[in-house]
Amino acid sequence: MSVSVTRAAIPPLTRRRRVTDNAMRGLALALTLLALVPLVLILYYLLKKGLSAFSVDFFTTDPTGRFLGDPGGIRSAILGTIEIVVIASAFAIPIGLGVALWLVEYGKDGRFANLVRYFIDVMTGVPSVVFGLFVYIVLVVTQVAGTFAAWKGAVALSLLMLPIVTRSAEVVLSLVPDSLREAALALGAPRWRVILRIVIPTALPGIVTGSLLAVARAAGETAPLLFSVAFVNGWSLDPSLRMNSLPLQIFNDVGQAQDRLVTRAWGAALTLVLMILILTLIARVVQRRSRLAP
Amino acid sequence: MADHHNTRQHFRDELRRLEEGTLGGLDIIREQMDRTLEALEHQDVELAEMIMLDDDRVDGRYLEINQGILSLLALQAPVASDLRLVAALLHVIKHVERMGDQCVNIAKLIPLSGHEPPVREDIKGLVLRMGRAARSEVLQSRAAFATRDVELAADLSRQDREVNVLNREVFRLAIHAGDDPDTREWAMHQTMIARAIERIGDNAVDIGEQVVFVVSGLFREFPTSTAPAI
Amino acid sequence: MSADPDPKEDARTVSDISTRSEQRRARDRDARPTAPVPSAAQAAPGRAGHTIALEKLSAYYGETRAVRDVDLTYAANQVTAMIGPSGCGKSTLVRCINRMHEEIPGARAEGKVTLDDVDIYDSSIDVTMVRRVIGMVFQKPNPFPTMSIFDNVAAGLRLSGVRGVDLRERVEWALRAAGLWDEVKDRLGAPGISLSGGQQQRLCIARTIAVEPEVVLMDEPASALDPIATLKIEDLVHELKERFTIVIVTHNMQQAARVAATTAFMLNGELIEHGPTDKIFSNPNDSRTEDYITGKFG
Repeated sequence: MSVSVTRAAIPPLTRRRRVTDNAMRGLALALTLLALVPLVLILYYLLKKGLSAFSVDFFTTDPTGRFLGDPGGIRSAILGTIEIVVIASAFAIPIGLGVALWLVEYGKDGRFANLVRYFIDVMTGVPSVVFGLFVYIVLVVTQVAGTFAAWKGAVALSLLMLPIVTRSAEVVLSLVPDSLREAALALGAPRWRVILRIVIPTALPGIVTGSLLAVARAAGETAPLLFSVAFVNGWSLDPSLRMNSLPLQIFNDVGQAQDRLVTRAWGAALTLVLMILILTLIARVVQRRSRLAP
Repeated sequence: MADHHNTRQHFRDELRRLEEGTLGGLDIIREQMDRTLEALEHQDVELAEMIMLDDDRVDGRYLEINQGILSLLALQAPVASDLRLVAALLHVIKHVERMGDQCVNIAKLIPLSGHEPPVREDIKGLVLRMGRAARSEVLQSRAAFATRDVELAADLSRQDREVNVLNREVFRLAIHAGDDPDTREWAMHQTMIARAIERIGDNAVDIGEQVVFVVSGLFREFPTSTAPAI
Repeated sequence: MSADPDPKEDARTVSDISTRSEQRRARDRDARPTAPVPSAAQAAPGRAGHTIALEKLSAYYGETRAVRDVDLTYAANQVTAMIGPSGCGKSTLVRCINRMHEEIPGARAEGKVTLDDVDIYDSSIDVTMVRRVIGMVFQKPNPFPTMSIFDNVAAGLRLSGVRGVDLRERVEWALRAAGLWDEVKDRLGAPGISLSGGQQQRLCIARTIAVEPEVVLMDEPASALDPIATLKIEDLVHELKERFTIVIVTHNMQQAARVAATTAFMLNGELIEHGPTDKIFSNPNDSRTEDYITGKFG
């Protein structure tokens, strides 16, 4: 080529390159839209079918269980879900955080620590029904303090939440730069103070986010509650008794012949989704206040 | 410890250039001294004129080296032996410039005696001997610095003692130069010339002291008859 | 751009307050629940300096020996610089002095390190007390991100459980001594990380000296900073040495030359040479030192 070097220094964009770029971009976009379709449809159906169930009674009365006459609202299901999830969180979050702390601050890269990590990973993959069955066999069939009870459902849910809390807390805790720990140690702080006063406060937004997401996940699980809590219409604060919950309420109502019960199920599903939505939003807001990289 | 001599190549080149320039200054002095000795021997007034004009070269070299050293200090922050070398070069080029000035002083004195001066051969002989000894000191100081030879440098003070002895002899002879006023005037000029040559020798000894400083980091004055050892 | 506080004024302030803080220390001693490292208690009124002596100090990472048999004394109230090429062990050695080296899994130190004749590796010594008395400033400024400027400076006192100290007074003293007071006195509640890099490093220095250590170790304290901030840190070191014994690790030889009265050169884990800085930089004894500082390698 007799063209001068300076002119040909940067080769021009070929047509083929341009087409390939656009094709890739188009493909990625298409796949995204494809994935969005079911999500949008779900939301659409939820809103369409569930909104009609909403009323003041819907939220303020318990289901009556009566076939004829007033079927009632879902108050006990909402309160039950809240109470069971709160108890489950009271177990899962401290223990999960504790495991994460041990892994990051003490176990580090040791053989045992890696073994623990492996088990936690396995636990995240265990189907939720297995947790329910486990609690059924260990706590219900053996009739530890009665048969079905809310607290046993909470146990099943906390088993489900534990690996989620641990995993997310471990990620956030390990994102706390070692330089901060070093600085605190070099000032003459004992290690437990370093963890309590420096590591946890720095990782707190991330820990809260991870916990909220675990809570949101647990609130919607049906299978663990099926075998441990069973269904009841009324409401009581006592965790040693059976308790209603949104997933079970939905499970029950969906199979009924009456249309208004099915509608109530849709309403309960929408309520549950809205609760989870709110939790997730709070988690995001908290995350934005974090000073660590994502 | 890789790349033992490739780091700071630019700095090393510059440092070497400055050293060569400084030693080159001593070469110019040698040339000037050759001319001075010849002018003294043959009472060559035109040659004396050339010596005076050529001192510009010495002054020019002095300014150049001075500036180069300043630059090097500012830009390269030399330390340890590099620093000692740089400091020494600053002194040496100053001595070179002084030597040049002394040659000029001698050259100025030659025409004053006119074309046919009343020469006393004994005095003239001594002065020429002094000049050759001083010239040899100049060469030796250059060699000592270039090779960092401490013994060669120390030997300079011995040579310089001889020059000092000759200087005093010239002075003594000049005092008894006789009654003829022209002869006496010429003799006085010879003492001044001898003094200038003695100064050249002193500067060469000082260069020797710098050699010791570069090598050992210690600064000691060499014992000469003007500064006797204790 | 606010004018810098006049360093001479700050020096006077540091000296003034140091005698006051000696009296404060006497009050502290009575209030402290546990016995402090002996030398602190026995310090004579006024400014008795503190010496660190290393005896056959070796440091290991697992099986690898990073520091070999170093004998060195750091003179009281002086700045000693540790220089040497990367990986020569200078940082490792300094971390053995405040026993941070052993925090690394698999790392250990052998030999003796004494602070005023007290062996800090003795089994009866509480390692957190060692670190209170021997402070450290790190290469990258690391203020605590969740804390304000005030809390950052007070952090050392709170974390190491010091009681009976007027925090406000101590924080102000430390910020003045670090040359940062005038720049932050109106915003002590602002987050520590809202400061510039140079200011953050001075904040970390204030945090370190707020606990009134006897020795301050600095591991390349200015290498992450711009030249002006670097010079400010160096000026600060000159003032601080009136009160503390300072060891500064630096890969910048000109910094060692500007700041330290004594310099030690290390190579491959060994101490090659140490002595007055001007001698090391004008006429070192060892040819390896000469080669390093003239840039023939490293």
